[in-house]
Amino acid sequence: MATVAFESVTKVFGDGTRAVDGLDLDIADGELMVVVGPSGCGKTTALRMTAGLEEISDGSVRIGDRIVNHLTPKDRDIAMVFQSYALYPHLTVRDNIAFPLKLAKQAKDEIRRRVEDAAGILDLEPYLARKPRTLSGGQRQRVAMGRAIVRQPKAFLMDEPLSNLDAKLRVQMRADIRRLQGDLGVTTIYVTHDQVEAMTMGDRVAVMRKGKLQQVAPPEELYDQPVNVFVAGFIGSPAMNILQARIEGGVAVVGDARLPVAGVAGYEGREVLIGIRPESLEDAALANGEGRHRLLGRVELREALGSEVLVHFSTAGRLAATDELLELAEDVGDDRAAERATLVGRFSPKTRVRQGDTIEVAVDVEALHVFDPKRGSAIQRRP
Amino acid sequence: MRLPALGVRFLILATFGIFFAVPILWLILAPTRTDKALIMGHPIAFGSFHQVALAWKHLDAFSGHIYRRWIANTLYYALSATAITLVVSVPAGYGLAIGKFPGRKLVLSLTLVVMIMPAAALVLPIFLELNAMHLIGRSLSVILPFAFFPFGVYLAYIYYVTALPPDLLDAARVDGAGELQTFLRVALPLAKPVLALIFFFSFVADWNNFFLPYVLLADSNQYPITVGLSDLLASTPSFNPSVGGGGQSVNIFKPELALATLLAVVPIAIVFVFSQRALVRGLVGGAVKE
Repeated sequence: MATVAFESVTKVFGDGTRAVDGLDLDIADGELMVVVGPSGCGKTTALRMTAGLEEISDGSVRIGDRIVNHLTPKDRDIAMVFQSYALYPHLTVRDNIAFPLKLAKQAKDEIRRRVEDAAGILDLEPYLARKPRTLSGGQRQRVAMGRAIVRQPKAFLMDEPLSNLDAKLRVQMRADIRRLQGDLGVTTIYVTHDQVEAMTMGDRVAVMRKGKLQQVAPPEELYDQPVNVFVAGFIGSPAMNILQARIEGGVAVVGDARLPVAGVAGYEGREVLIGIRPESLEDAALANGEGRHRLLGRVELREALGSEVLVHFSTAGRLAATDELLELAEDVGDDRAAERATLVGRFSPKTRVRQGDTIEVAVDVEALHVFDPKRGSAIQRRP
Repeated sequence: MRLPALGVRFLILATFGIFFAVPILWLILAPTRTDKALIMGHPIAFGSFHQVALAWKHLDAFSGHIYRRWIANTLYYALSATAITLVVSVPAGYGLAIGKFPGRKLVLSLTLVVMIMPAAALVLPIFLELNAMHLIGRSLSVILPFAFFPFGVYLAYIYYVTALPPDLLDAARVDGAGELQTFLRVALPLAKPVLALIFFFSFVADWNNFFLPYVLLADSNQYPITVGLSDLLASTPSFNPSVGGGGQSVNIFKPELALATLLAVVPIAIVFVFSQRALVRGLVGGAVKE
């Protein structure tokens, strides 16, 4: 086990693409660090540089005390789980798991013992004599995990290992991996584009965009205190509603509504972006006098999930359309140029609103986020 | 489909089928008949197994069992050259597919150019080269040029580019394998379909090569079957009247010639049957994601 550190790591490909740009990131011994971001943000490239599968253009990667820039993958003492599992199809499950130990010329008895230990941990004993093609997706994923843990490496590198599984299995494997990593205490870098995976698995989460690290923090902090509009829009499902607003007399004017926000004195008379998490919105009829601050809207869509109701409603005002948000909107097909903004509220299941209704929505103004529209950074709210 | 349209379709197919099948059928039946029967009788008819035995006796007796020698020579040349081809072309194709080195594209382009170049065009420079190395008239003069099989390199290249997931190689490297071990333990065992494909095409090309050994070998004891058959043809009164009529010492007529041709095809048919499954798998390998 070891620490892993990225020190101003940059990767520029032959065609000039800057995949990773000055990445600084310290991962503590035994920590599970999730690196998350949309496609092309450089997360997988950063992982492959750690593994030694991509050359580092500038900066250094340190595993433990050693700078590993010029070491081949086999000399880095790391194990990797690939998105495709990358199991050797011509070998049995037993030989797949034993592969790294055979290469390390371990004694036969030792190999057998460690393979059986790993198979025991992952419930793979009944499948040891089978070839990968006869296994289900979940079993293959466990074999890939077995091949990684059998080596007792300094660090695990995982490249979207759950993305080929169905939703139910993914939830189960998510918990299994988290538990296994906790038991083994091996430093782990886990790359994913799924922010739910990031939030549920990581000790800390590093959010990347266009090769640059945006924020690294524990999941709760990332959710509650995003440092910029990209992190705010990326973390959370449904995503944060981010609207254009204007500060007038210490109050944010959004369409017809006036929402008091603190700590924006320096922005008087200027445009800002206001972020409202879906759970900060509630059907005003159920708000019991709380939430005096309201938005008027028309229900466009109602999604009843049992424990909550997601209500999509249009309201006066415009959605923010910064580069970062347009990039995120592209992923989900949002129309950020529309005349009226469509917001999502996470309402109590007791709500009686129906599609087409005109409603009042209570806003928890204590939980509002304010961003600078030019820089995209969060505005430090001062009391 | 209406009946007349079906009839026209059947007629066209039957015409082409018969056009191609008749010569093959004639060749298969010819050793069962006498030379006279082949000329005077119905073109497609079965003679007797006794006549086949007689044809083999005449063929085997030709020039002191030299037919057996030609078959043995051909097997030796083709198998030796194919073995060298496999050893060379699979790593070469792998290197071209996954390697990152200066001149990779140039080597790939040259492989393609040499692949489409007619073999006969190279005979003269090969002859001069082998002559300079004092190899003319030796087995190596045939085996070494046969072993040069750029199509095999290209097949291996295509296989590795299309059918081998790069993650597998990366996994092996991370698991502790060096480049050679990655090739030997992962890439090579997974190349069985393309190995069969290269073996088949190389073996067939070597078996059927006529011009190169015809130029490079002078002693009929060293001939492969292709050159031997032409020698045999030249000894047949039917094709070469100058060797005389029925009173000659060489009993090689049309039935013997047909038998010699048929027997020359048998090894290729056997290789095909044994490599058929791998061939089909190799031909479609990488076409779909498994």
